[in-house]
Amino acid sequence: MDHYRDFSLGEFVWDKPFRSWVLSPTREEDETWQSWLDANPDKRETVERARQLVLSIRPANASLSSPEKRKALERIVERLEVRGPEVVESLHLPWYAGRPARIAAMLVLLAGLAWIFWLRHQPKAIGYDQLVAAANVEMRETVNKTAHPLTVPLEDGSRITLDPGSKMSYPAHFSSSRHGGARHTGARREVFLSGKAFFDIAKDPSRPFFVYANELVTKVLGTSFTIRSYTNEREVSVAVKTGKVAVFSREDPDATEKQSSRELTGVVIEPNQQVVFVRKTVKITKSLVPEPEVVANAGAAPHFEFDEAPVSAVFSALQSAYGIEIIYDKNIMDECPVTATLTEMSLYEKLDLICKAVDASYKSIDGRIVVEGKGCRNN
Amino acid sequence: MKALTRPGLRPDLYFEEEQKLWREMLAGDVTAYEHLIDRTYDLLFHYGTKFNSDRELIKDCIQDVFLSVWEKRNALNPEIPPKPYLLASLRRRLHRLASRLRMDCMDYYNESDIVFDIEFSVEYQLIESENDRLVASRMTEMLNELPKRQKEAVFLRFYNDMEREEIAMVMDIQPQSVSNLLQEAFKFIKSHWKAIVSLALTLPF
Repeated sequence: MDHYRDFSLGEFVWDKPFRSWVLSPTREEDETWQSWLDANPDKRETVERARQLVLSIRPANASLSSPEKRKALERIVERLEVRGPEVVESLHLPWYAGRPARIAAMLVLLAGLAWIFWLRHQPKAIGYDQLVAAANVEMRETVNKTAHPLTVPLEDGSRITLDPGSKMSYPAHFSSSRHGGARHTGARREVFLSGKAFFDIAKDPSRPFFVYANELVTKVLGTSFTIRSYTNEREVSVAVKTGKVAVFSREDPDATEKQSSRELTGVVIEPNQQVVFVRKTVKITKSLVPEPEVVANAGAAPHFEFDEAPVSAVFSALQSAYGIEIIYDKNIMDECPVTATLTEMSLYEKLDLICKAVDASYKSIDGRIVVEGKGCRNN
Repeated sequence: MKALTRPGLRPDLYFEEEQKLWREMLAGDVTAYEHLIDRTYDLLFHYGTKFNSDRELIKDCIQDVFLSVWEKRNALNPEIPPKPYLLASLRRRLHRLASRLRMDCMDYYNESDIVFDIEFSVEYQLIESENDRLVASRMTEMLNELPKRQKEAVFLRFYNDMEREEIAMVMDIQPQSVSNLLQEAFKFIKSHWKAIVSLALTLPF
């Protein structure tokens, strides 16, 4: 690998082993390149640029839809049957050698193979029971068997509200700063959740609070949020009400580092944002909660009445009320005056109304709102 | 480390699987035959459309290729790599077809219909920096300016991960000629590369 030290951008782009890693990486190649990059951090930028170039420059291919392909494939096999000598013999063949029987057998075989494939490629799900069993301190468990939410006060002043059917394990006593685990630098408060719960965590920056819910780890310093993590559901989600939390996957190679870091690293989410972890694809995405609410400490009661106000004033009022970043082109949009009374509407209803008024549209991308419009210069 | 410095070594599992299907198919296994078609069809189709834009004609030719493989299965070598063999058969068939058509209706089909032609393009949204978008766009222009046979060799080598001998088999030329084509292509790319980068970048490179 030494000769890569002197590689320029262009040499990387046309280097076959490099392309092979970028276009169809094997685990082995991935490890080799990652360790090379760790040893040569100054080449990181060049490698990343080369990677983007390799991925983006492609031959233009005529599209071939899968039904079209399937049809062509069937046609070949049909012809084969017609041409093949089997047709002549088939008159004397027993029933199980006939074409329908063979097709059926093939389908059964394929289904079986597909099933085996599916079984082998299930990512290993990490569940509550394994997590609790792995904890090496004395644990208490609370199960909400009632039909109502159940609030569990913890010794540090945090309050956790369990939904019906959910359960939580927590240590009898949280470790104090002095008696922190030998392996870790600091003390921490750790609980395990199965199901859905709302967390209102007492502030204690010296002892960060961790919630382990299936594959996701949520780290907080002091805040309130909801976690939904049912063992039999395909997704695990974390939605924030106040403050900030960091979420990362247990499988994340940097997970231990992220846990012990003093700052919040990982995917950081803020009020009205949520993180959804799709268990099957092991993918974390950040988005807005379905129904954003006005953030409690948004200062004075927000007022949503506007009279010929520039659109930027409207957006900034919404932004501070909901704590959600709104991105738009100030130069183009600011000439649009808005007159509206937006109280008692959900955030999305408000946005619908404003966008209709100024002839724009909005999208929610990566936990933020992006507004696009042509402006109102001609009005 | 070794795997990367030794040229020509590649993730073998995938190729072994294809070879296995090929062997089973030659032994008369219809399921293997169908799997093999399924795995190679897209490549053959994309390759075919580089010669001729008539989709149905390409599909017919691919069909003929596979049917004749099945018919000749007792005579075929189980150890030849299937992908280059199939591509080569398709290429021959397209050529033959074109020359026959040329004889039938002289004006309609001409030489250019049977020449490999390919257009490279850039997906700009995959590139972060403005500079690199410029680099990518110039590089693509340059690839598109390559002579057609060089383009074909570049396409097979860098976009289909083929070795020199395999490309020679597909293009029906000597392995040495493949090396020459690739060398010329790279001489061209390299000579323009400096200009591209200095145009696009003011940063030290």
